[in-house]
Amino acid sequence: MSLSLFEFCQWLNDTGPAAALRESTIVFPIVESIHTLAITLVVGTVAMVDLRLLGIVLKKEPVSKVAGQILPLTWVGFGVMLVSGLMLFAAEAEKCYHNPAFRLKLILLALVGLNPLVFHFTIFRSVDRWDEAPRTPGRARLAAVLSLTLWSGIIVAGRAIAYFK
Amino acid sequence: MRYRLGIIAALAAGLATFVAPVSAHHSFAAEFDGSKAIRLVGALTKVDWSNPHTYFYLDVKDDKGKTTNWACEGGGPGALSRRGLKKGDLKLGDTIVVDGYRAKDGSNLVDARRVTLPDGRSIYGGSPGDGGPGDTGQ
Repeated sequence: MSLSLFEFCQWLNDTGPAAALRESTIVFPIVESIHTLAITLVVGTVAMVDLRLLGIVLKKEPVSKVAGQILPLTWVGFGVMLVSGLMLFAAEAEKCYHNPAFRLKLILLALVGLNPLVFHFTIFRSVDRWDEAPRTPGRARLAAVLSLTLWSGIIVAGRAIAYFK
Repeated sequence: MRYRLGIIAALAAGLATFVAPVSAHHSFAAEFDGSKAIRLVGALTKVDWSNPHTYFYLDVKDDKGKTTNWACEGGGPGALSRRGLKKGDLKLGDTIVVDGYRAKDGSNLVDARRVTLPDGRSIYGGSPGDGGPGDTGQ
């Protein structure tokens, strides 16, 4: 049996827990609020590291120390953001499938995941050489700008989901 | 330094703009035309009691006897419940009166500002804080 992506969204949309969340009186707005708070934790902490790479904040702190202290918080936020996001998606899966803003958001999320992966396996390997430098190498700064841009786009696209049918 | 602070302030303002209005979901004016008031009277054909907006559908007959199905958008289950409208109050086949405003795109969609049930009960149907006609934020 093969299931198209749209059929999967329809099936998910009609499962008991998804319908219960969609029809709930207060649980849906609570999950929505938790999702938004988790985004602020993820993007807030990521932005601190990006701004360090750009040499705007914490210039006297080694990059590895800043990343080491801040990024564990990012992962906590990411876990909460992912779970609450999947719940909201399930509740509106059928609508989301057709929603252009939601589709754009998924593409940007894939790119924002790829960015640190490339960063960690390339330029970050030589961090020992520029750990203390206020201004980091061009590729590290490029990664920081991409990260800030993509996350801003994700938030805008996420907000825009409400404005499409 | 002033230049860098400017960048940070711009980023922060940009983020705040898009994160803040979660409870309003989307504003009345984003989708509906406040100058196009309409009254629909018709039989209830479907109810989507869903977040973040409920939708219900009416079969409305025009002067020539032609029936058109209209979609009516209302506040979410939480807002409507607080005003005393429960899911079970909307029964398929019942004749409902909806006073609302048409969608800007001209489709058969209205924002249901007031819903009148067969028993005479009249409930405010707008989303809380959407800034549309009659909105008190409640």
